[in-house]
Amino acid sequence: MSRTNIFVILLVAILMGSLFSVFSQNSESVVFERAFAEPGVEFKISGTLNTDHPVLYDPEVSVTETRFHMRDKDGVTHPVILREAKPTGLEQSESIDLYGQVVDGEFIAGEMLMKCPSKYNEQSHDLAEAVELN
Amino acid sequence: MEITYLNEWTWAASFGRLLLALAFAGGLASTIGYVAAVARPKSNWMTLGRWGFKVHAVGIFGAIGLIYLLIFSHRYEFQYIWKHLNDAMPTKLAFASFWGGQEGGFLLWMFWILLLAIVFLRRLPGKLEAPVMAIHSGVLTALSSMLLGLYFGDFQFGMDPFLMLREAPENMGMPWTFNPDYLALIPQFADGQGLNPLLQNYWMVIHPPTLFLGFASTLMPFTMAIAGLWMRDHKTWMRAAIGWSFFGVAILGAGILMGGAWAYEALSFGGFWAWDPVENSSLVPWLVLVAGSHLLLINRSKPGTAVTATYLMVGLSFLLVVYSTFLTKSGILGDTSVHSFVDSGILPQLLAFLMGCSGLFSAMLLPPGNERKIYCAIQVALAIGVVVLNPALCLLGMLVVMALAGLRGHLTHLPRTDQESPLWTREFWMFVGGMLMFASAVHITFQTSLPVFNHFLTPFSGLFQALYESTGSNLARKLAAHNLAPGTDFDATYHAIQVPLAFLFIGITAFTQYLRYGKTPSKKRFLQPLRSLISAVVLTFAFALAFDFQAWEAPRVALIFSCLWSVIANADYIVQVLKGKWDHAGASVAHIGFALVILGAVVSNAKKDVISSNQFGDLAMLNEALSNEEDLLLLEGDTLAMGPYYVCYRERRQEGIHAKFSVDYFETLPEDYAQGEVVAKDGFLFQCTSSHTALPNFEDDMEEHWTFVPIPNDRQKQEAQPWSAGRPGPYLFTLDPKIQLNEQMGNAPEPDTKRFWNKDLYTHIKWGRVSDPEADEEGWMDGRKHDMMRRDSLMIGKCVLALDSISAVTMDQKPLFGLLDKDLSVAAHFRLTGQGPDTSFTALYIVRDSLVIPDMVTLDNRGVKVRIDGFRPAEATFETVVWENLSIRRDFIVMQATVFPQINLLWLGCIIMTLGALMSVRQTRRLQRKRTPVQP
Repeated sequence: MSRTNIFVILLVAILMGSLFSVFSQNSESVVFERAFAEPGVEFKISGTLNTDHPVLYDPEVSVTETRFHMRDKDGVTHPVILREAKPTGLEQSESIDLYGQVVDGEFIAGEMLMKCPSKYNEQSHDLAEAVELN
Repeated sequence: MEITYLNEWTWAASFGRLLLALAFAGGLASTIGYVAAVARPKSNWMTLGRWGFKVHAVGIFGAIGLIYLLIFSHRYEFQYIWKHLNDAMPTKLAFASFWGGQEGGFLLWMFWILLLAIVFLRRLPGKLEAPVMAIHSGVLTALSSMLLGLYFGDFQFGMDPFLMLREAPENMGMPWTFNPDYLALIPQFADGQGLNPLLQNYWMVIHPPTLFLGFASTLMPFTMAIAGLWMRDHKTWMRAAIGWSFFGVAILGAGILMGGAWAYEALSFGGFWAWDPVENSSLVPWLVLVAGSHLLLINRSKPGTAVTATYLMVGLSFLLVVYSTFLTKSGILGDTSVHSFVDSGILPQLLAFLMGCSGLFSAMLLPPGNERKIYCAIQVALAIGVVVLNPALCLLGMLVVMALAGLRGHLTHLPRTDQESPLWTREFWMFVGGMLMFASAVHITFQTSLPVFNHFLTPFSGLFQALYESTGSNLARKLAAHNLAPGTDFDATYHAIQVPLAFLFIGITAFTQYLRYGKTPSKKRFLQPLRSLISAVVLTFAFALAFDFQAWEAPRVALIFSCLWSVIANADYIVQVLKGKWDHAGASVAHIGFALVILGAVVSNAKKDVISSNQFGDLAMLNEALSNEEDLLLLEGDTLAMGPYYVCYRERRQEGIHAKFSVDYFETLPEDYAQGEVVAKDGFLFQCTSSHTALPNFEDDMEEHWTFVPIPNDRQKQEAQPWSAGRPGPYLFTLDPKIQLNEQMGNAPEPDTKRFWNKDLYTHIKWGRVSDPEADEEGWMDGRKHDMMRRDSLMIGKCVLALDSISAVTMDQKPLFGLLDKDLSVAAHFRLTGQGPDTSFTALYIVRDSLVIPDMVTLDNRGVKVRIDGFRPAEATFETVVWENLSIRRDFIVMQATVFPQINLLWLGCIIMTLGALMSVRQTRRLQRKRTPVQP
């Protein structure tokens, strides 16, 4: 077997190994129930912003505290506290990942990642509506 | 009944559609002509191909010209113009509005393909002309079909860039569309919507054309590869394609980094690269193209080496461009079913184009004859299956058949060398480097395409579920759930794989040039890269110390080492081996550039320093895991220490679509303390025993200059200032981070950056008010509730409101306050200090017959109103509501400031890399001319 072949096979093996590690990595997210069952342990919770409740951010009281309600994958809504300034586009976000833990009965997140509509997203320009308003 | 619309350029719509139809027909004719001419080059088919191509070119160039005419005449009756242009946009942005939508994007892409094809034709390509142009015309025809805008029932075939608003499906049948004078009557037609303000940036003028030129330049090597397979000549095309593919490397590389620069400059995600699918999908074709062009180089010197791999790399680079076009427009990438470009309705067409190009390429990989026919039959059957049966399963089947075809081709007719090249040869390491880059591309594609795999996994969900239930395998369970998503932690998701790979292939670029094709170098030659290796090791140590790299960052340090070695070794190669002959230095220069790009990216990213941190509050002390030290609250007019600076938020002003927040930066000078001064530090008071200039740490001064004040008196308590090592010095500069007022997409922050030669200070607004808060006619804003105990205080504007004491209102005091005898009342004694004389006042909490009687205290001259709404005796706490008047309000912002060290290496590297690749193109061209004298 030639050296080139050995090299290619090694490369494929390493690559496959690293790709499968993607699956085995625990990027799974839990739901509120689990996080509240184990307070003090850090979890990742994925869900969406519940827009029935307001997003509270008052920098004059605290620069790094944003309060809002999140709906997890089971559809359960909980108030959460994010220890960050209110991220731009939170209201427009399509999904949210929160990294945090339950402290004194409240879910407190130190980090949040959002999926937002991309800037490449074209707006639906509804001329019909605009014309009707006139 | 035909309506004659007034003042409408109806002719332009008809003419534009005619041009596009002409282009489509011409392209079709050209494809047929050129395909037939491959077998009979001297026949009239060739003439048909050439003339068809000319007609196509005229049609496309004409359509582009016509759209520009419409843009510069502001013809808002056209949907495309109305959506992407408005009167407020300056000329350069009006120019860029052409590629604001997908239709323009396709036209821009075709424009560059046409231009490159014309250059190709002018160079008298000989026998390559027919097959190369056949594929070119085919691709152009397919692309122009996406602009036809024909409807077959509900099925849309292409998007018509000349569609008028009154003809748009959503406006069909609206009453105004029957009014001949609608343009004058309806005010919406006086101005367009304009480009999304996020895109209104000078980068919008240069980035898309560069990127599309890069995309277009991957087509030429692809078509040449197909020509090679078609004519069963695996040599000629490889020589011809080298220059084209290095041109693609240069332009596509520049285009990608321009996108990074745009993101860094105008968008606030805090960096130049975010592993976003849109970014990844332009990076991947580039990586594969770089691998492919190096394999082409090997084949120039050692023909017949790794032929299959060369075909694959060159072919995949174009196919990946198409794949990424499809991916970013398909909406598959959204976790949810929210599609990003669904409105265009040409997704099936794009998918057909993608599968068509890949299918054609793998068909050509098969040996000619029956196998190709059988392959085509299977693919057509599966394609029908996509439409009528299970799309995911049939598409997967098509892909598997394609892969098998490639394998079959490799095992049968594609040339293979039995002769193994020695270990220390240039071709071996170039091949290894290319394959490593390909591995890096595979990994990125894999992560980006996870949502696509989910679709392919869906049909097998039951199978994996059964597997999970029988074996309990976690992997099977995840595959069964088919909702894989790329991780959000870049270090785990991308860097863990990409950094080691980059370490290897950049290291390879350091020494490979010193090796030779075909034979092991002499000992002297072997030792030539040694001196650069030693300098790189020394420099890496210096870097690691200067930037304080930790042990766990070893992979990064290794990558920094290979970047430094590559830069030094390639520079040394120009001096030592090439002796300054720049004509041959293209490769070295490009390698230096690439290594600098990665070096700048790694250092600036790994050692970025968020210098804004909140001075107030003790969140960090409560719970370290929850601390947030990255944002700074700045009150208008206050000067605060931030990293090595003092900063002052001076004013907010509105300029066009931006609210600008001016923040002044001052030098930090060491503070001087005089004997007797009292300072507060961590809640304790200290008195200065001898005058001195402060050191950065209080602890260093404490012993010598300070004495602890165990029981401070009132005067000391009042006078004590918080200790600080520095004080604001001379003014340095002003940064104006902005918030863009964007009605379409929501307000968006835009950073402002101070550039130094060795670092950037990058600041953006995390929170800021873009207009004055709401207030009533007298200027009172909404009240705020505060729970206040004795000795609590609040900041109100520039003043401090303190609750000095609490007392019950006694019987004899009641008449003084105008209270009845039966009333229960508690008095809160407040003091307002700062901005004028101290003002003391009393607010009452009154309960009469179990009803609370509101008692509003208004200090008009101080712009404050106070009312007690509740009293909790157990905690001695007042529920206090405080109103502020606009006249005393102070604006504030929450800002984040980051220092990116050595980021300029990245931009410098980008320029050097592009130059180097273009130098290689020039040199390749020169060599080709020397070898094949120009035909008369």
